[in-house]
Amino acid sequence: MEKQPILELRNIRKTFDKLVALDDVSFSLLPGEIHGLLGGNGAGKTTLMNILYGLYRKDQGDIYLNGEKIEIHGPRDALNRGIGMVHQHFLQISNYTVLENIVLGTGITHRYTMKLEPETRKVEELCQRFGLPVDLNAVISTLPIGTRQKVEILKALYRGVKILILDEPTTNLTPQEVDALFESLRVMVNDGLSIVFITHKLREVLSVCDRITVLREGRNITTLDRKDASEDVFVRAMVGEQMNIEKSVYFARDTKTFGEVDTTAAPILRLSQVNLISKEGVPRLKDVSFDIFPGEIFGIAGVAGNGQRELAEVAAGIVPPTSGKIEQNGKDVTGLPVAERLRRGLSYIPEDRLHDGFLPKASVAQNLILGVHRQRPTATAASSTGKRSTRKPASRLASTTSKPADRKNPAAISPAATFSG
Amino acid sequence: METLITFLRLVLLSMVPFVLASQGTMLGGRTGIFNVAQEGIMLLGASLGFLVSYQVGNNFVGMLAAMAAGAVFGLLLAYFTTTLKMNQFFIGLSLFFIGVGLSTLLPKLIIGITLSPPLIPTLPEVSIPLLSQIPLLGPILFRQNGLVYFSIVLSLLLWYFLYRTQRGLELRAVGENPMTADSLGINVVRARYWTAILGGALIGLAGAYLPMVYTGTFTEAMTRGRGWLAIALTFFGGWSPLTILTGSLFFAGVEVLAFRAQVIGLALPYQYLLMVPYLATILIMILTFRKARVPAFLGQNYDREKRNL
Repeated sequence: MEKQPILELRNIRKTFDKLVALDDVSFSLLPGEIHGLLGGNGAGKTTLMNILYGLYRKDQGDIYLNGEKIEIHGPRDALNRGIGMVHQHFLQISNYTVLENIVLGTGITHRYTMKLEPETRKVEELCQRFGLPVDLNAVISTLPIGTRQKVEILKALYRGVKILILDEPTTNLTPQEVDALFESLRVMVNDGLSIVFITHKLREVLSVCDRITVLREGRNITTLDRKDASEDVFVRAMVGEQMNIEKSVYFARDTKTFGEVDTTAAPILRLSQVNLISKEGVPRLKDVSFDIFPGEIFGIAGVAGNGQRELAEVAAGIVPPTSGKIEQNGKDVTGLPVAERLRRGLSYIPEDRLHDGFLPKASVAQNLILGVHRQRPTATAASSTGKRSTRKPASRLASTTSKPADRKNPAAISPAATFSG
Repeated sequence: METLITFLRLVLLSMVPFVLASQGTMLGGRTGIFNVAQEGIMLLGASLGFLVSYQVGNNFVGMLAAMAAGAVFGLLLAYFTTTLKMNQFFIGLSLFFIGVGLSTLLPKLIIGITLSPPLIPTLPEVSIPLLSQIPLLGPILFRQNGLVYFSIVLSLLLWYFLYRTQRGLELRAVGENPMTADSLGINVVRARYWTAILGGALIGLAGAYLPMVYTGTFTEAMTRGRGWLAIALTFFGGWSPLTILTGSLFFAGVEVLAFRAQVIGLALPYQYLLMVPYLATILIMILTFRKARVPAFLGQNYDREKRNL
């Protein structure tokens, strides 16, 4: 006999101005399952779940919980009905402790002394039951991403949710952390929870989910049991039939094989004995030296928070090293400003794109030319027309750059913040 | 010895307007509302507090009037920034100018121009039985006017509220990350309104203190920048009630020293001495500003419907 779905979304439609983010999307969640919500960037996965969590208002469609039609006006409604969500960008107070973040907004037993022993016991019990070990007295800002995610899951569990939505939970986790997360998810499901797992990573979906729904461009394409489907079926569903997968730019553009890096060539980037001591006086980088050669993809491994971010910022010239030398194409660039590094052919995609990578309110086109706006094509085009506007050349640049990604937006002039990952 | 006791007594006495105005600023800031109208609200509080006391013949009623005026300004600030989502500095500065204007207009309308300044009785000294008999400490701490005690107790209560109660935890969360607070069902708008209103009331009371303790009358611009100093002090105090209380002692100390130096008759033009508190402030700010802990969302407005922040 078919199980009754615990939650159903029927014919949901949501538009942001002219952009149709969701078009007649339906989704159902069975009790005790891990349901993967799969799709590329901008497919509408997060928008759909934000509607369920009460952060966005839907234009059309209905939500049914245990067969009963409900309205959700805000996160509080969702939480009261046992729906919790772990956002891709964690919603945490960074100068509070783990425990304070977990109990925030809930009724505290000793509310006029803040002696949190009963709460501590309850959270510790949850940590143990679901295999989520966290130091409850640690301050959030000192914790690595993986631990902060555990805190976010604990927040939902502490509120006794029955349905847990995880938005891209594996971003920024190490493979070990991903494995641990999946184990915890299994324990939760055995404990009676139902989980929605949003991701664009196919392998994760196949390894942990019971059923999988694929979204593409705001429509639902298919829902399948994991055992009924191969990887290939999902790839096709995600990217669409019209694309020739084998020759697609995503999967195989260059036939270059490994091992061809010419280490006798002059290095294109060289760091020698780079040291960095942070503002607080903590050493972040110690005697880091390496060469990167032309045509090379140079990986830097390590658990998050061990200096990767600092290394990237030093290499890009955003933070000056305390000592040491950085050479680009054989020339010392250690003291040179970022603009000069960019002019010499360096490009930097920051780890935290939302905060460091772009201007959320500016258009895509403006964001794209930011940084290269001093260089000839844009600068001269703008000045030769006699207008102090960069819109035309910027749009041209944007349309050539964004074509492969096939954005359905009127891309060039939309504010960048309206895009997802 | 006697000089030292007098000095410390005066420091505690002069600390009050700083404490009240800064705690008021701090309270609003804890939910993200950055009030910059202190100078205007204090002047209005001084003017209205004096006028009402003069007309009614009761200082306490005057204080209530000053607090009510401050609360109205706080309400306006909250409404324009939280409901209408307008720029906080723009609104704050507008309120400052309105406050200054009203403070000089009201006495002219109500009392008119007189030959000798109209006077109200200053606040009486309230000796605390037994405690005031302690040598040294007694005269310094326990023979003061009522608002000195009030400002100390208020600071302690605010600290307890912010750091030892559930509501305090929630309130601070609003000023750090309103999106997180909102997602956990905390009413961001309500928190911003009531802290701005109560904060405004405290700033108004800080203004009323000046005619009621120092001069017995209202004179134009009598706050002499204490409202602006209160902002600096709030930063100096790391937006924390107890540090603000100790910081107020320092600011008051500098003020009293500069005043004493004038009385003694140093061979300096008195304008230089008047500068001392402000120079000290600048110096302090340079030394401490980098380390100052500020509510992360200070001065910003929150809009749930906006995609991404």
